[in-house]
Amino acid sequence: MAQKTGFQTDEKALIRAAQQGDQDAFGQLVRAYDQSVLRLAMNLLRSPEDAQDVYQEAFLRVYRNLNNFRFDCSFHTWLYRIVTNLCLDHMRKRKVRKEESSQVEGSDGPVDRMDTVQESRAESDPQRSMFAGELRERIEKTLGELTPRERMVFELRHYQGLKLRNIGEILGTTEEAAKNCLFRATQKMRVALGDFV
Amino acid sequence: MSTCEKVREQLSMLLYGELSFDEEETVDAHMESCAECRTALERERELHAAFDQAVIEPPASVLWESRQNLQRQIRAEHAPVHAFMGRAGWWNQFLDARWLKSAGALALLSIGFFGARLAPNLGLGITGMSLVDPGAQRVRSVEPGPNGGIQIVLDETKQRVVSGGLDDQNIRVLLLSAAKDPSDPGLRYETVGILNDRAQTAEVRDTLIYALEHDENAGVRLKAMDGLKPFVRQPEVRKALAGVLLSDGNPGMRTQAIDLLTQGVGEAPAKNLDRDIIGTLQELMNRENNAYVRQRGERVLQLVNASQETY
Repeated sequence: MAQKTGFQTDEKALIRAAQQGDQDAFGQLVRAYDQSVLRLAMNLLRSPEDAQDVYQEAFLRVYRNLNNFRFDCSFHTWLYRIVTNLCLDHMRKRKVRKEESSQVEGSDGPVDRMDTVQESRAESDPQRSMFAGELRERIEKTLGELTPRERMVFELRHYQGLKLRNIGEILGTTEEAAKNCLFRATQKMRVALGDFV
Repeated sequence: MSTCEKVREQLSMLLYGELSFDEEETVDAHMESCAECRTALERERELHAAFDQAVIEPPASVLWESRQNLQRQIRAEHAPVHAFMGRAGWWNQFLDARWLKSAGALALLSIGFFGARLAPNLGLGITGMSLVDPGAQRVRSVEPGPNGGIQIVLDETKQRVVSGGLDDQNIRVLLLSAAKDPSDPGLRYETVGILNDRAQTAEVRDTLIYALEHDENAGVRLKAMDGLKPFVRQPEVRKALAGVLLSDGNPGMRTQAIDLLTQGVGEAPAKNLDRDIIGTLQELMNRENNAYVRQRGERVLQLVNASQETY
């Protein structure tokens, strides 16, 4: 993630250049952030298709509205505000329709849609492998049971490593509210995983 | 609420570094005298480590596809920054599918690939470097210098385009090195794709086998497996595929490996399966927990009248 002071100086110049129609500058902005945007969407939505939708929509919105960006906050915060809103919309819709099965029909039979993208570490010990599999399943299930806001704060803090102050800024709330959300999320995770850890 | 209860409520925030100075002081002071809370902190640490089990790293192929789709949509938009897609630049160099297709015939390896994975220009007023400078910089090390200053060692790379066919030794050396570049899965994915067309040479095949066995990204491993398909009868390729069966964490990879290693089994005329592969499949049955992969393995073992597991 592009967070260093030196890059921030450059980033302002990049944004200004992109606002004036510089294609390379816009390309560099996309490239500086798109991996972390895709990772965030993929981890929150657990579906490559939905993550790609969010990626497209987020960068299209940036592209269309870049001229309105006035540097009131960092570009990172602005972009993440767009991405998190899109992800929250997806998650809320899912809560309503209870989400479709994670199994999809492959050419060779039913497969889990995440099996093709999951990067789990190879385990040579079958017992450990089974344990790791069960643990991952339990974590995923519990993550799915968090409210969209709890899920979002947990994702941004634990997996994306953002500070609560920044998370509050992105989600349009206070640091304290984000902290309470994270507290509730970790409590639920602790209860659900108590017998595993 | 007892002090222990209060402290334990704060352990998670302590690990996230989200306590205020005073709160952290209180927790630290209590920890020194409370063994149970120290144990609770260790458990909390394990819990945090366990969360990492569920993290997903998007494959390079998904990122690549996303970039292509974005390019297409922006082209269709004719939005204010329309000049952005007009001329050949970063965007086109990286995303033009035609460029990628023709790459099999003529590998055009841009050092811009390497530049792109380095930190963007730092723009710190360092001599000669600016936004428009094609160079890229990476901080190698930082240490205190004389008179309170700081000494920063920068790696600097100037972008340079090198063109040539896959027969060109220099191009091949660059490609073989790019295929193992640990920092950029997108670069490895595309490089392996180009090398797949030349897998008949042992040098390239070794690189593909290396990617299949060691690359951390499933998209790259899958691409390498594609390139090795025509050489599935060769012992080193079979050995690598057997390794995938037993140790690759991705069920899709294991399924593909079964298919490749057992090609022709169950078809007429009947094909024998070598004993090593039967043994590998039986070992797989002992440890496999993915129902679909198990089913595939069991079917093959039934077809060759072998027992399902080793005892």
